[in-house]
Amino acid sequence: MPLQTDGMVVRNRRLRSCYFMLGIYCPPISDQIKAGQFVMLKVSDNPSLLLRRPFSVYKSYSLTHPHKRKRGHLFILYKKVGGGTERMTTLRKGQKVDLIGPLGNGFALPPLPSSANCVLIGGGVGIVSLYPLAEALEGTKLVVLIGGKTRNDILGVEDFRKLHSTILTATEDGSLGAQGTVVDLFVSKAKQFKKNEEYYIYACGPVPMLRALAGNVKSKKFICQVSLEARMGCGFGACWGCVVKTKQAKTPYQRVCQEGPVFRMEDIVWE
Amino acid sequence: MEECDLTVRIGKMTLKNPVVASSGTFGFGEEFEEFFDPSRLGAIITKGISLKPMAGNPPPRIFETVGGIINSIGLQNPGFQEFLRNKLPYCKGLKTHLIINFFGNTQTEYVELGRRFNDVAGISGLEMNISCPNVKRSGIVFGTDPQMAYRLVKAVRKSTTLTLIVKLSPNVTDIALMAKSVEEGGADAVSLVNTFRALAVNIHTKKPELGNIIGGLSGPAIKPVALRMVWEVGQAVSIPVIGMGGIMNAEDAIEFILVGASAVQIGTANLVNPKTGIEVIRGIKKYLIQNRIDRVEELIGTFG
Repeated sequence: MPLQTDGMVVRNRRLRSCYFMLGIYCPPISDQIKAGQFVMLKVSDNPSLLLRRPFSVYKSYSLTHPHKRKRGHLFILYKKVGGGTERMTTLRKGQKVDLIGPLGNGFALPPLPSSANCVLIGGGVGIVSLYPLAEALEGTKLVVLIGGKTRNDILGVEDFRKLHSTILTATEDGSLGAQGTVVDLFVSKAKQFKKNEEYYIYACGPVPMLRALAGNVKSKKFICQVSLEARMGCGFGACWGCVVKTKQAKTPYQRVCQEGPVFRMEDIVWE
Repeated sequence: MEECDLTVRIGKMTLKNPVVASSGTFGFGEEFEEFFDPSRLGAIITKGISLKPMAGNPPPRIFETVGGIINSIGLQNPGFQEFLRNKLPYCKGLKTHLIINFFGNTQTEYVELGRRFNDVAGISGLEMNISCPNVKRSGIVFGTDPQMAYRLVKAVRKSTTLTLIVKLSPNVTDIALMAKSVEEGGADAVSLVNTFRALAVNIHTKKPELGNIIGGLSGPAIKPVALRMVWEVGQAVSIPVIGMGGIMNAEDAIEFILVGASAVQIGTANLVNPKTGIEVIRGIKKYLIQNRIDRVEELIGTFG
């Protein structure tokens, strides 16, 4: 259940170019958050930056985690894109931050056998919500496709590697891995997929990427979940500001924060 | 802690405190129960209900501006029947006044809804939305023409004995005139202000930031204008005024009470800090004690 609570900044470091890692000590949230859920962070007390910002959680450590020093911590990998995230970069160790979480439905995770084919597809900071998912899927036949504009936008490779997954990268400028988008990479990889096997696809990234992917996973052998990004008002279902159009007849506009952020690919109307 | 009397009267309702959750920012109450008990508020006002379900506007529906947000939700709601079936049972169980915000496309629809809600148990009051900027053909016509507003309120008044609050649009030349018209029509109270019609432009795409192009601006950015309007209306009418517009804390709420509001609504702030209502109640109480005022009603309209 979501709660509003204070956390304490334990680190806030630039990873490279415009990407940062914010670590927060916040046991009430880190202890219960699941893969694909998110938090709403108040980035400033200044009312000119009024709304909270939604962030996926990259890593979180429960209070029973074997590494004692990591217990109660959660980490947000974020990209500096505007006034709010710029303010976030000024957060310092020891500062208090106001969080609401965990929010939304995470990925649906039926128990999968070790023979299951799992393909994670992340564009840019989209990999953030996929990392905890990869942890949950460790032990399956896990392939992670990571895409970005340039090599600077390819994030998380070292972390995913530790989970014994196969990692493939694509950059639009060709500076790392295959040249093209991560969806192009998926399409070429899918040619090697076995005809009579099912593939569990999990994707997160900007809408154009997911829309492009939607056109390429229509075969019945793909069981595809997508985690959506959206501008949000509250994050907890009150304002109906973050909706996405779905094929649900009665209520086509569903809330990304409440019914999502993870949806079945086939339920979304990609406009 | 010393005791002070926070009760205020709005029509037939006696609110245990003057802090009310505003329509469209509080869902149907249940979204907030993880954060605090909504029963502690003076009243809650539901999301706007129409006769038939409404799908709402295409996204994006929300955009942050300096000190405010522009929204174009478009009155998405499950409609009267579905509300009764799925949402009312929870709202009704709360130990506070339940006020239903409603709207129609025509006078007939407004009257029909007034009549239907009148027969539903567990409802204390109705807030008529004659002012949503986000839906074509809807309230805005009623909300900007004093004569039409008068006729509409008069007709709805006959359909219900519940406390009838009319929510006013700030997108008019003379809001005091609008308030007087709906008072003459038989409103028990007015609430103001709804959002200001607004636009946000993306210079990179050269497109609007909202799917509906136009939205409504709320938040601290509108507070000074809202205060002025509440003050003007308070002087013009003798029915209670419920003030709102960018209230983020108790100080803001007290400003509205001083200029003439009998109660205040918390809107946008609920989205940012879901516990705002509770903090405002606590802050008003503290202010009364510090200033040796026994009853919040003594504070209303004492500005100037």
